[in-house]
Amino acid sequence: MIQHFPILAIMVLFFGAFFNLLLGKKSRLIRMLIVLASTGTALGLMLALVKPIMIDGGIVAYWMGDWAPIADFAYGIGLEVDALSLFFGLIITTAVFVSGLYSFEYMSHDDSLVNFYTLYLMLAGGVLGLVLSGDLFNVFVMIEIMTFSAVALTAFRNDTFGSLEAAFKYLVVGSIGSSCVLIGTILLYAQLHTLNMAQIAALLPSNLTPVTIIAFAFLFIGFATKAFLFPFHPLAADAHAVAPSSISVLISGVLTKTGVYGIIRLVYFLYQNIGEQSVQYLLILVGSISMFVCVTMALAQHNFKRLLAFHSISQIGYVITAVGLATSLGVSAGLYHAMNHTLFKGLLFLCAGAVLHQTGSVDLDDLGGLARRMPKTTILFLIGAFSISGLPPFNGFVSKWMIYQAAYERAWMGGGSLIYIFVTVVALLTSVLTLASFIKVAQSVFFGQLPEKYKDVEEVPFSMRAPMWLLALLCILTGIFPDQVYQYLIGPATSAVFSVAGYVSAMFGSGYFEISISAEYLIGYWNPLCWLILLFVVLAAVTLVSLMGKKSRGKVREEASEKSDPKYEPFYGGEASEFSQVGGSDLFWGFKHNLKPYLTFMHNAHSGVVNDYALWGVVALALAILFAILWL
Amino acid sequence: MTEMLWNLFYILVFPGLLFCVIAGLLLAGIDRKVVARMQRRIGPPIAQPLYDFLKLLGKETIIPRTASRTMFLGAPLIGFVSLIVTALFIPIFGFTAFGGVADLVVIIYLLTIPAVSIIMGGAASGSPYAGVGLSREMVAIMSYELPLVLVILAISRKAGGVFGIGGLTFSMTQIAEYQAQFGPMITKWSMIPAAVAMLLVIPCEVGNHPFDIAEAETEICEGTLVEYSGPPLAVYKLSHAIKMFIMSALFSALFLGGAGTGMLAVDALIFLLECVAVTIISMSLPHAVTARLKVEQVFKFFWTFVAGLAALSVVLVWFGL
Repeated sequence: MIQHFPILAIMVLFFGAFFNLLLGKKSRLIRMLIVLASTGTALGLMLALVKPIMIDGGIVAYWMGDWAPIADFAYGIGLEVDALSLFFGLIITTAVFVSGLYSFEYMSHDDSLVNFYTLYLMLAGGVLGLVLSGDLFNVFVMIEIMTFSAVALTAFRNDTFGSLEAAFKYLVVGSIGSSCVLIGTILLYAQLHTLNMAQIAALLPSNLTPVTIIAFAFLFIGFATKAFLFPFHPLAADAHAVAPSSISVLISGVLTKTGVYGIIRLVYFLYQNIGEQSVQYLLILVGSISMFVCVTMALAQHNFKRLLAFHSISQIGYVITAVGLATSLGVSAGLYHAMNHTLFKGLLFLCAGAVLHQTGSVDLDDLGGLARRMPKTTILFLIGAFSISGLPPFNGFVSKWMIYQAAYERAWMGGGSLIYIFVTVVALLTSVLTLASFIKVAQSVFFGQLPEKYKDVEEVPFSMRAPMWLLALLCILTGIFPDQVYQYLIGPATSAVFSVAGYVSAMFGSGYFEISISAEYLIGYWNPLCWLILLFVVLAAVTLVSLMGKKSRGKVREEASEKSDPKYEPFYGGEASEFSQVGGSDLFWGFKHNLKPYLTFMHNAHSGVVNDYALWGVVALALAILFAILWL
Repeated sequence: MTEMLWNLFYILVFPGLLFCVIAGLLLAGIDRKVVARMQRRIGPPIAQPLYDFLKLLGKETIIPRTASRTMFLGAPLIGFVSLIVTALFIPIFGFTAFGGVADLVVIIYLLTIPAVSIIMGGAASGSPYAGVGLSREMVAIMSYELPLVLVILAISRKAGGVFGIGGLTFSMTQIAEYQAQFGPMITKWSMIPAAVAMLLVIPCEVGNHPFDIAEAETEICEGTLVEYSGPPLAVYKLSHAIKMFIMSALFSALFLGGAGTGMLAVDALIFLLECVAVTIISMSLPHAVTARLKVEQVFKFFWTFVAGLAALSVVLVWFGL
């Protein structure tokens, strides 16, 4: 019974898309039912797999049409779900479910919603299919499905400025990535005569020919495109800025994860070359550059969603760096951060969507003071912002803190070098820059002064707040109970990453490899629950003291007249009162002033011309091939 | 039951609430007195910060019309409380109240919560002055974060080379143990640049001269605090004093540790004296003799000179010195 769950989860989403197209035109209710039923079922099926896979440590292998391997050679299409696949599957179905809930109200003002939900379910099915698939060609097929639905969804609001352009860029550069995956797959198939990933993993390390080495470069670049890693990051910025927010959640929280998943499968399973120093350096370098470049780009943005887009690449940079450390702590940290990123970035995109929905703008220079009109959204935003900036006790802190430790520890292990210290410092620094840019958003969207035209903005309805609260709660819970999260989700997924033999033998019943996992230990201490208890005790004590000392002094009088009287306006030394003289996009000029040469260079480099970005992609591919030839 | 009572005592009296408040106000008073004497003024009495605090408590709280009320009033409280909790994790020679809860990196991150609370409070007030102030505060945070991180990495390796698993430790207890056995960290010559860097970071983190760009009374009327009055302002002033104490205590714990005498009361006294010394060297002295730097100068100073010093220590430690 249980082995049918993965294929059912994928099929239910695709059937949802199909039925939605067929019946969804009739009424909103039918669409809602179809979307809820299919995403809910997919989530439920994934949750049902937690017990057998995560806790009991099993692997679900499934041959489509019962085409089992003949004489140890795979001919049929296989689905293989180990703890790693399931981990990503859980992330994906959760994000998809929440995004669907949010869409009902958020998209209610748009038309041709049948197409929207069809594409949305196709996207969800493609992404889920990718991580559950055990077949390299199917991975490519799923990448194509998800890329094209994502492109179409990016351009869904095609009356917005720049949406078609963004979709076109995404299409062009995304196709470069997909083609790379296809070429890599073809090369591997030509050499090994199999497409089954488990079998490739078994055969490849002993069959490293020049062709398969080049295939590595192609596959790596292909998956890096899907994760929008440097130098493919400008795509994400354009796509997120114009896509509907509930789709941005999927592009940022889910699509990028497939790239991460692909890279993990590539270096830990197919090629098993993560043990080589050069591959580790490749991942760490790409990760750190993405981390730093994107966070500095984010600091310079003045579009809320664009800023979030750059941050998602920055956070993916953390994940890739952590995965590239090749220690079990590093992998755990990376996976933990991947999960957290989906949660908090989803929350932040939904907040941006709420602001867009109520005000019609996401321009930081234009907005302001919304905390007074939308207090609940503000709280949700702050939870998300503190999570992503890695403030304790939210979840971003736990995973980032694990990443710092893993990176710094790596510096002093065998084969460590100063590069790891450098990476640690970059990671720590990126965290504070992230905080800075979210302070900027908080100040220029939610605090500061309320412009006249947004005086009557309303709070978003509950149907939009509920999914946001769901993500916010998950952010808090995964921050406060890291041990439990580790035990049930991260730990099994990490050990799955290090057990290639198990992955292969689940499909073929024969083990080839043994990779020993070093015992995992932490060099630091962090007990969020204990800290929270202390915090509440002190808070209670302080409140008690202040209540005892309080004399009843009556309420502070508030000026009754709403008429604008110059007497109540702030004094600015004679000038007309305006909003904060430092505009949203220019809040940290003291920082920008010192990095001007760098920022100017970056600004000019991100020309927005698709030809340039395509060129970057081709150059990256060339460099990757060069890397593969020289160092593999 | 007794254990719980002891924990309550730790939280509320000894290294917690009461001790922090007293030590913070004392350090603030000493700082003002010493600065005054250096500038040939008589200066206020040592207890002046306490008087200021009590006076502010009795004043009316005014909430500006542009403010978002909850955040405006809640931010000072959260900042204050998280500071007190952080104080519980800093060892006094061999003694820590709650050793296993948080390590050095966590402490550094916990210390950003008060800074963020000031920023959020300022942002919630809706005043343009506060807007400029919070922008500067954030630039200050970005400035000192890089050297601070490097200092921590150097210490972690120095102490962890002996004690930690894998040659590293972030545990405050183990750092204290290391110093108890091998003498204070500052006596290791490879750590002296890091100590100097840390001494320069302290005034910036606390927001003292010459790095008080965020408050800059003469330019932006105390920036983020401009709209505050009455008890919330009193809480901020108190937090500022406690932050002085915590930062100097952190320096004492990281660089001036040692075996101690074994008696907690004496140890606490010595520790307090060390804090006074650190306060005078790192905060009063620069305050008395320097003028405020410009925003971009602060940033440049920390990312080049101070970060360079700290990086020097890391490199020295890397080569096993």
